[in-house]
Amino acid sequence: MISIRNVSLTYPNGVRALDNVTLEIAKGDFLFLVGSSGTGKSSLLKLLYHDAIPSHGEIVVDGIRVDKLRGARVASLRRHLGVIFQDFKLLNDKTVWENVAFAMHVTGAHTREIERQVPRTLDLVGLAHKSRMFPSELSGGEQQRTAIARAIVNNPKLLLCDEPTGNLDPENTAEIMDLLMRINTKGTTVVVATHNQSVVDRMRKRVVRLEDGRIFTDEERGFYYLGLGQGQVLSG
Amino acid sequence: MDWGKVKFFLGEVGRNFTRNAGMQATAIGTVAVTVVLLGLFLFVRLTLTGVGDRLLKQIEISVYFHTDATPAQENHLRDVLRADQRVTSFTFVPKAEGLKQLRRQTQGSIDVSMLTQNPLPDKFRVRVGDPSEVSAVADALRGEPGVANVVYGKTIVGRLLQLGVVLRRVSIALIVALLCVAAIIISNTIRLTVYARRREIAIMQLVGATATYVRMPFVCEGVLHGLLGSLVALLILGIGKAALWSKLALALPWLELNGTHVALLPIALQLLLVGVAIGALSSWFSIGRYLRT
Repeated sequence: MISIRNVSLTYPNGVRALDNVTLEIAKGDFLFLVGSSGTGKSSLLKLLYHDAIPSHGEIVVDGIRVDKLRGARVASLRRHLGVIFQDFKLLNDKTVWENVAFAMHVTGAHTREIERQVPRTLDLVGLAHKSRMFPSELSGGEQQRTAIARAIVNNPKLLLCDEPTGNLDPENTAEIMDLLMRINTKGTTVVVATHNQSVVDRMRKRVVRLEDGRIFTDEERGFYYLGLGQGQVLSG
Repeated sequence: MDWGKVKFFLGEVGRNFTRNAGMQATAIGTVAVTVVLLGLFLFVRLTLTGVGDRLLKQIEISVYFHTDATPAQENHLRDVLRADQRVTSFTFVPKAEGLKQLRRQTQGSIDVSMLTQNPLPDKFRVRVGDPSEVSAVADALRGEPGVANVVYGKTIVGRLLQLGVVLRRVSIALIVALLCVAAIIISNTIRLTVYARRREIAIMQLVGATATYVRMPFVCEGVLHGLLGSLVALLILGIGKAALWSKLALALPWLELNGTHVALLPIALQLLLVGVAIGALSSWFSIGRYLRT
């Protein structure tokens, strides 16, 4: 599904965010990207949805050379993957329904298709009863579920999550992670960049740890290591 | 046709337009001020050229014969004038008629009754359609047999023609300058509205909106600014003309404003078009810098 080969990323200000990273992610995988702040987790995700362009190396997502895309093809790529963020990035003057429908409008979807798909997706994330509310009237967890609904309404093959639970309490965090799991079991590849140790440790999925822009460890059914000494594994 | 899409698009434009009333008013006001200035200027220019043209049209060429010119020579000249496409009208003034006119014109100041014989020659009064051809026509007539002298307001014609050329050049320069200033001010205003929505633009692009898709509502908004601004300007200009025209005509009688025809509808349409174009173009370019791909 995703193939990252010898990718380096240096920002215009000279900061080297990624240094010769190579990573393969299989279709239907669920993967955690962990590591302390500034180690390149977000940068790696940005490369996948073309918010950043690698200074070196190549990136293939679902058979498409993402690093070569320009203009309208970038838009087309983003319609085929979903992205969610710590700060939700919802349009505050649109209702839940409109926020989700918006992602379909930009693809040129037919109104009938939108009217069929949006309620289904809101149902899936458990927000059908709040579809007429505005983001400011929702809790953090509900806002993130709206963002997830928007991300998956076009049935993407890949869902990228940048600190999805960073602003949420443990209860909402658990709900969001459950939701991501459910989406994953339907066949969507899910990549989650996170700081949240308990989430990682509980779910026991593949864990890729970045340190200083390089891949430090890559484990199936891994744990989150938290500055307790490199390589130390907490028992779960 | 998917009416849902149309509704969605119009909804977006309408929502953006009504959200930030202060900013919209600024943009519309800027367009309005520019278009008023432009309109005033075009109007003054048209009026001046109108007055100039009318003065030029009144220019007459007087063709004087020698006192011993034969009727055959005079008839020949009549044929020449008749054949000349540039000549719109001419009248023959025999010397007796000329003397009568002189008496009328000089009534009281010079006593022409003392004249024992008529000193005036026969003459033709000739009008030419295109003012710029007056001198060429006059020169041609000068060479005809029996013609003693050809007189027309040479300096006046020259100056009026020159004035027209200068007026045209200056006005083109001024219009260009005015449009540039307007485009800069308006694009800055629109840039502010775009800046206020940069987060929204980023999100739109994030979910896969193409640059054109993001642009369209903004450009439509620019068109609306242009349209509303121009309409406001036209209203102001219209009211201004209604209120001031007759006073101006009284204050400057020598301009003979009331006899000068100024075609207002084409100006109005031009101004409307200019306003819309300014609005659309400045929106198009203002949003460019916030589109990252």
